[in-house]
Amino acid sequence: MDILTNVATGFIGLFKAGGKVFMGYMTDIIPLLISLITAINALIKFIGEDRVNNFMAKLTKYSILRYTLLPILGVFFFTNPMCYTAGRFLPEKYKPAYFDSCVSFLHPVTGIFPHANSAELFVFLGIANGFTKAGGNQTRLALLYFITGIIVIFIRGMVTERLSIFFFKRNGNTEILNQKLDVNDLKKENAEEA
Amino acid sequence: MTYHSVKIVKGNHGWGGPLIVKPDEQKKYVISVTGGGIDPVAQKIADLSGGEVVDSFNNPVLKEETFAAVVNCGGTARSGVYPKMGIPTINTVAITPAGPLAQFIKEDIFVSGVTVEEVESSKEDSTFQSTSEPTPSSNDEVKPTNDSGFLKLIDVVGKIAGEFVNTFYQAGRDTIDTVIKNILPFMAFVATLVGIINYSGIGKILAKILSPLAGNIVGLVILSLICALPFLSPILGPAGVIAAVVGTLIGQQIATGIVPMFLALPALFAIDAQAGCDFIPVGLTLGEAQPDTITSGTPAILFSRLITSPIAVLIAFAFSFLLK
Repeated sequence: MDILTNVATGFIGLFKAGGKVFMGYMTDIIPLLISLITAINALIKFIGEDRVNNFMAKLTKYSILRYTLLPILGVFFFTNPMCYTAGRFLPEKYKPAYFDSCVSFLHPVTGIFPHANSAELFVFLGIANGFTKAGGNQTRLALLYFITGIIVIFIRGMVTERLSIFFFKRNGNTEILNQKLDVNDLKKENAEEA
Repeated sequence: MTYHSVKIVKGNHGWGGPLIVKPDEQKKYVISVTGGGIDPVAQKIADLSGGEVVDSFNNPVLKEETFAAVVNCGGTARSGVYPKMGIPTINTVAITPAGPLAQFIKEDIFVSGVTVEEVESSKEDSTFQSTSEPTPSSNDEVKPTNDSGFLKLIDVVGKIAGEFVNTFYQAGRDTIDTVIKNILPFMAFVATLVGIINYSGIGKILAKILSPLAGNIVGLVILSLICALPFLSPILGPAGVIAAVVGTLIGQQIATGIVPMFLALPALFAIDAQAGCDFIPVGLTLGEAQPDTITSGTPAILFSRLITSPIAVLIAFAFSFLLK
């Protein structure tokens, strides 16, 4: 009987420990998350999609903006997965690179702006919780994750751009490479469709 | 070529449907967006309907030529993307509508938990009419008032205040919805996992395995390279689950002091080398890319990760001294 009792205690203990962790999340993370996400959701609604779209269409000419500010705005305002739709402002040959830099920002953004990808928060929180427990400052980690993320998505955008041009050439997609670069024209066309 | 209708009902624990899809001259493709070749469900739909099946990772087609999409999305993104584009969507994973695109996941365009058992020939016509534009909701318009001066001012102030409150209220509603449908379920999963690992002692065993990889910068670079391998990354990607689990394990090691604290930043990039690699064709389609762009862009992104992921870890390592 004693053995059975021990087994049962151990079994329940597993989930008591889980419940404790869950309660910790509920009291530490959820309240902040709810008010923060509500405020940002409201802000996005006040600013409005059209204004963001118009602004984003102007950013596509320079590669430094194309792989930094454009994905940041896309991720912040349209969140995962609608942030990729901003790719329509770009000529075909830049689209893979934009996607790559956009998707790579979806986790670095969550430390400070969890609304942008709330379903995948734990990619950050898993490590950040341990970091906090060891006595670290979580906000500082979030901020550094954000800043490093910007540098990384820029490098990634540039590398992927070169590689996609290589693959376009190899697969003989010359019409994509030679596509006119008049971004303003492109914007008008796509804006009508959208 | 003659085309036939195919009926798909929901599977065990599934949701939505039944869908009846039928290809035609213009829309003749059923796409398999499952990251590992052509799904048997997509194959069966093609066989029964007379349509063509394509793996949209290797051979993307225009969304205008697609009559059905087969996905294996346990998260929320792919399940919503295709319904939003007006393409009937068959999910082999049993999920219910959730996430930012939940409003597009409707019974008449989405069915989940489907296996080959649930696909059968049908005599009925397609239930789904594509390009069913949502009818613009006619808001009850406010009648122009002829009152002048003061009353008008009150009217304007009232309207602005009302809009302000409504926007915030809606934002709160969206937030609670996300918390319940996306955040809490994941927290429940992670909390249970952490509880079991801590209480059972598995944590100590894992520490032995993980500490040589996560405990120093060389190990982290190797970890990022493994995650970025072009044949692994599309499998490791979906919904960030694997990254989250590995992250939680490394977090545990940081908490106990086995992994040094300042490695938290490079570790964040090491576990994330595969981010979005499962989503390339879908993401590019959302950006209105042409099939040729997707064909060339997919390998470009996969190979780019092999170069940029170790660089990302090293950059993060350089910044990590600010954490000390």
